[in-house]
Amino acid sequence: MARKKQSGTRKASRRPAAPGRGVSAPRGSPAASSTPDKLSLVVGIGASAGGLEAFTRFFAHMPADSGMAFVLIQHLDPQRVSMLVELLSAKTTMPVTAAADGAPVTANSVFVIPPNAVLTIAEGVLRLSQPAPAREHRRPVDAFFTSLAVDQGERAACIILSGGGSDGTEGVRAVKEHGGLTLAQAEFDQHAMTGMPSSAAATGLVDFVLPVEDMPGRLMSYWSHLSGIEDRKGPDGSRQDMADAVLKICILLRRALGHDFIEYKRNTVVRRIQRRMQVLQIDNPADYFEHLRRTPIELDALFRELLINVTEFFRDPDAFAALQPVIRDIVAGKDADEQIRLWVPACATGEEAYSIAILLAEAMPTGRSTGPKVQIFATDIDEQAIATARAARYRKSLLSGVNEERRQRWFVKEDDHYSLIKSIRETCVFSTHSIVKDPPFSKLDLIVCRNLMIYLNAALQEKVLRTFHYALRPNGVLFLGTSESIGRLTSLYATVDKKHRIYRRRETSTALPGFPLVAARAAPDVAPAAVPAASESNVDKSARRVMEKHLPAYVVVDRNHDVIRFSGETDKYLGPSPGTASLNLFSLIRKPLRTPARAALQKALATQAMVSHENLMVQANGHRRLLDLIVEPLDDGHCVVVFAERPAPAAGRDASSQSQPSSDGLERELAATRERLQATIDELETSNEEMKSTNEEYQSVNEELQSTNEELETSKEEMQSINEELQTVNAELNSKNDQLTRAVGDLTNLKNSTQIATITLDGSLHIRDFTPPMTGLFHLRETDRGRPVTDLVTKLDYGDLQDDAARVIRDLASIEREVTLKDRDATFLMRMLPYRTIENVIAGVVMTFVDITDRQRLERERGMLSAIVDSSFDAIIGHTLEGTITNWNRAAEVMFGYQASDIIGKPMAVLFPAGRADEAVGLSKRIGHSEIIKSFDTELVRKDQTEIAVALTVSPVRSEGRRIVAASTIATDATARKKMEEHQTLLLHELSHRVKNTLATVQSITAQTLRASGVAPSARELLEGRLIALARAHDVLMERNWRDADLREIAGRALNAFTGSDAGRLRLEGPSVHVAPEAALALAMALQELATNASKYGALSNDGGYVDVSWTVQGKDQPAHSLRWQESGGPPVEAPNHQGFGSRLLKRNLAEELGGKVDVQYARGGVVCTIDFRLGGGEGDPA
Amino acid sequence: VTNVSLSGVRVLVVEDEMMVSMLLQDMLSDIGCTPVGPARRMGPALKLIEHAVFDIAILDVNLNGDESYPIADAFVFASGYSADSLREKYRSIPSLQKPFQQHELEQTLAAVLIRRPH
Repeated sequence: MARKKQSGTRKASRRPAAPGRGVSAPRGSPAASSTPDKLSLVVGIGASAGGLEAFTRFFAHMPADSGMAFVLIQHLDPQRVSMLVELLSAKTTMPVTAAADGAPVTANSVFVIPPNAVLTIAEGVLRLSQPAPAREHRRPVDAFFTSLAVDQGERAACIILSGGGSDGTEGVRAVKEHGGLTLAQAEFDQHAMTGMPSSAAATGLVDFVLPVEDMPGRLMSYWSHLSGIEDRKGPDGSRQDMADAVLKICILLRRALGHDFIEYKRNTVVRRIQRRMQVLQIDNPADYFEHLRRTPIELDALFRELLINVTEFFRDPDAFAALQPVIRDIVAGKDADEQIRLWVPACATGEEAYSIAILLAEAMPTGRSTGPKVQIFATDIDEQAIATARAARYRKSLLSGVNEERRQRWFVKEDDHYSLIKSIRETCVFSTHSIVKDPPFSKLDLIVCRNLMIYLNAALQEKVLRTFHYALRPNGVLFLGTSESIGRLTSLYATVDKKHRIYRRRETSTALPGFPLVAARAAPDVAPAAVPAASESNVDKSARRVMEKHLPAYVVVDRNHDVIRFSGETDKYLGPSPGTASLNLFSLIRKPLRTPARAALQKALATQAMVSHENLMVQANGHRRLLDLIVEPLDDGHCVVVFAERPAPAAGRDASSQSQPSSDGLERELAATRERLQATIDELETSNEEMKSTNEEYQSVNEELQSTNEELETSKEEMQSINEELQTVNAELNSKNDQLTRAVGDLTNLKNSTQIATITLDGSLHIRDFTPPMTGLFHLRETDRGRPVTDLVTKLDYGDLQDDAARVIRDLASIEREVTLKDRDATFLMRMLPYRTIENVIAGVVMTFVDITDRQRLERERGMLSAIVDSSFDAIIGHTLEGTITNWNRAAEVMFGYQASDIIGKPMAVLFPAGRADEAVGLSKRIGHSEIIKSFDTELVRKDQTEIAVALTVSPVRSEGRRIVAASTIATDATARKKMEEHQTLLLHELSHRVKNTLATVQSITAQTLRASGVAPSARELLEGRLIALARAHDVLMERNWRDADLREIAGRALNAFTGSDAGRLRLEGPSVHVAPEAALALAMALQELATNASKYGALSNDGGYVDVSWTVQGKDQPAHSLRWQESGGPPVEAPNHQGFGSRLLKRNLAEELGGKVDVQYARGGVVCTIDFRLGGGEGDPA
Repeated sequence: VTNVSLSGVRVLVVEDEMMVSMLLQDMLSDIGCTPVGPARRMGPALKLIEHAVFDIAILDVNLNGDESYPIADAFVFASGYSADSLREKYRSIPSLQKPFQQHELEQTLAAVLIRRPH
């Protein structure tokens, strides 16, 4: 319903510093005008350390003669000297000074907070306290704004510029509450900048979110509006010309929103409306009313303005401390099965309700597991506030009244916020409820209603207090705000703690006031009745006092015949009657007058005209008097009952009896008449008595009826209360139901999205729930929920399900198992966990099945591959493309001496000799660039830094997408191979050496033998030539390790000796052909014979001949070779007449050796010899 | 074939194979050279180099297992090893491959003498 605030600040807000009671000028000075030197607004500007740029832009648009004073509050490092004063001096012509303690705030000046200080303002003078508190408590902007709000009221303006955190938010709240202007910096459009501006804007109390450039203009127009309406303001700062409009606005609000502010304190309402007008810059109340009528959103804004709300946890800690024992008593007086019922009307955003809930929770006996159940009804008319309260989530700044122990115990920290723990949250039921409109709750132990009544006028206050009295159970406690009290209603409440406003319900029966308390009846006290009385002059007063003596006594009664005003000496006619004290006219009035009075009143009310009963006889103070009873109705159902006394009749009667002589006849007649009269009177009295007794009977019946009626009333009220309560509970349930529906939706989606087969079983293994993939494992249908799982056909090869489930439920431990399918090769990882309900009760099991078939297959494959790798004798090293080692097999451990655990993660470079670290990186890089690296020999180093000869093979490792992701290096130990190779070479050389030495020896032996036997030198040379040809052919073969020989090499060596220095005479032409050793030897010998012949008879025997040796190769597999020997330029050839060694060798043996055909033509131009042969597997290489 | 006169050139023969050594001496005599030595082993060969007077030497690379490089610098090799297997630094020194013919010996000696300033 409304809003809370500590009474101290409340008072200040009630009396905002009216302009004209300027802060720099003494109170009572004339109203501020627009004279530039007069102080107009005091503008507080808050920014964090980085605010210089925003300040600069602000002053660039702010004229220097605005009459405003600016106080800049910046978050400064306490250790550093601020340059802000110097920097800003250059940006504005206004004097810029560092704020000093006691400095008066003057117009057209800029004050800057110094480092390490807290700046406040009081009575228009700056107050500086140093040093600033520790960082976590330092909120300089809040501190200044709050003091500014109190000191300057609506002449305070505050601006939140860029900065991190939430400093300034509380300050904005205060400024707004005291009627000032609040601005925040926009990021773009009207979106507040993140950090301080957005934090402030989130309260909904920032009037404008603007770019910095637009702020000066806004301030100026605000001031011009404010000063424009100055003269229309009353001494309390509320405008005098508002009365009509306020009433209309209140009626409009009641009609539109259903909330009635008519009986709220008039000045409060007026000031709040005024503020909206200022913000909208509307001058005329009637215009505002029109605006309000046309713009529904403004209705909401005004409503919110009227409900400005300042509350926090344990606000007013002393009062809460005083409440603690009361709460302890309440708890102590309850049994565990009873309920403690509380009501917090006007709970706003819930802080107070939760504070009470915490007090209660703390008062609960710790030993007992279950204390009495607590039910706190927290209500407010502001739905937004209720929504906030329901969320139970509060900014840290609102928790300043909560000590650390309470924070730990009752709150859960979430980022910047604190949430109430569940048990506290659940004791509070929040609902929208109007204390004015709606029936109250009932049988309450405690009502906490703080700072609500200060907004209500006296009449409504009383009604509310009567409502509370009704709602409280006997001895129930009422806790009011510090500046509130029970007023006159001491008959209803006894004081428990006067200072802290704690009261106890007195045992008096009260009827529940009718609802709504503020009926939609005639306009309320727009013109209070007291006003004319107050205007009575002293003369009038004295005259009235005199006149009272001469006027007849009268009383004014209301509709219920209760006396509301006595006048004159009514004691003659009225007197208290025994029994319950009452102001009812009929219980006060003397018996003889009762009947005529009742008749007269009824008639007067019925006819709305004056009724008079004349000449009534009364006995008072022993005298008989004659009396005229006059009843005249007033307009509003009240009646005036006048007791007009007649002059004493006795004197008159005496006079007449003396003046007139008596007559017997007449006297007799008189006597007879008297007797008749007496008889008639007696008769009348008798019937009167009868009437009376009948009347009494009726009365008692009436009493009975009335008490029945009262009982019914009470029942009805109780029903109303219960109904209200039920509605509240229902709303709460509905909101919970919504939450549950959402949660169920979330869970279902989550469950379905996991694709994990999941099934939940209850304690007796009946199916509770399952996910769709489960149907692949059991023959499950939707309708199977509730059936025992053991009844279902399963595809799983899992006979122990029941035993396992029983074990899980018994031991509360989970079970994991690999389960296979019966019909198909698939493996699942089954995990069985106990199913815990929210209350932590085990109510079955949850089973999940994860398909691990692929994983297992991969696992097996991996195992096999790693076994292969491990059993290799070659070092197999896996590494990244950057060269970091990732795998290291056993052979590598042996070869290099590093254990896998030592080397994995190290770079490949450690395996390379010191100077060749780059090579390692280079290899990996080349692999990464898809380069193919052939196996190559190199040296690597072992852990002990010895070198090892290896053959390295580096190959890429590809991902599934064929992308190269890593590399593997295989190092084969080449030491043994190298040694073998060296040995082989050595042997070959030795062999070659021996062969040639032997040939040389043979040469020597034959030479000397032949020389001694006188053989012709030509024969010796021939022999020598053949021996040497053999040796040369061996040479060629030896160079190729006796594998094969190049044809060109064979031919060249064979013929070199014949051409001597004139090598040009021999021309060799043909592709590179490798021939087997045997063929090579045969060919060499053949060529030797041909050359010998040529040097004797053919082309080489003179100086001008040539020999062309050419060969061709055709075909791939077993290619056909054809070698052609052609001489030219020699002397004419004649066919030899006998077949020598040469032609025998050529024609028979060579052909056989080569498996080919040899043809020698002794053409005249020169010998031509062609040798055709095939070489098995010999390669033709076109190079 | 060559315009260098081999007549009277004194040639030190270091050759372990007796028959080859004889053939070499015959050949040298045939072409007009004067054989010096012969030496069959390293030790005697080194002694001869100190004391004997000669113009040129023919060394067998393998002297019964010892390599004759230590005394090789100015001399010609006669060896069963192929040119490839001779050590790198002696590549430029003319070599003869066993078995060789007389004219090859002549040419090689001439080539050495041309390269050497007298």
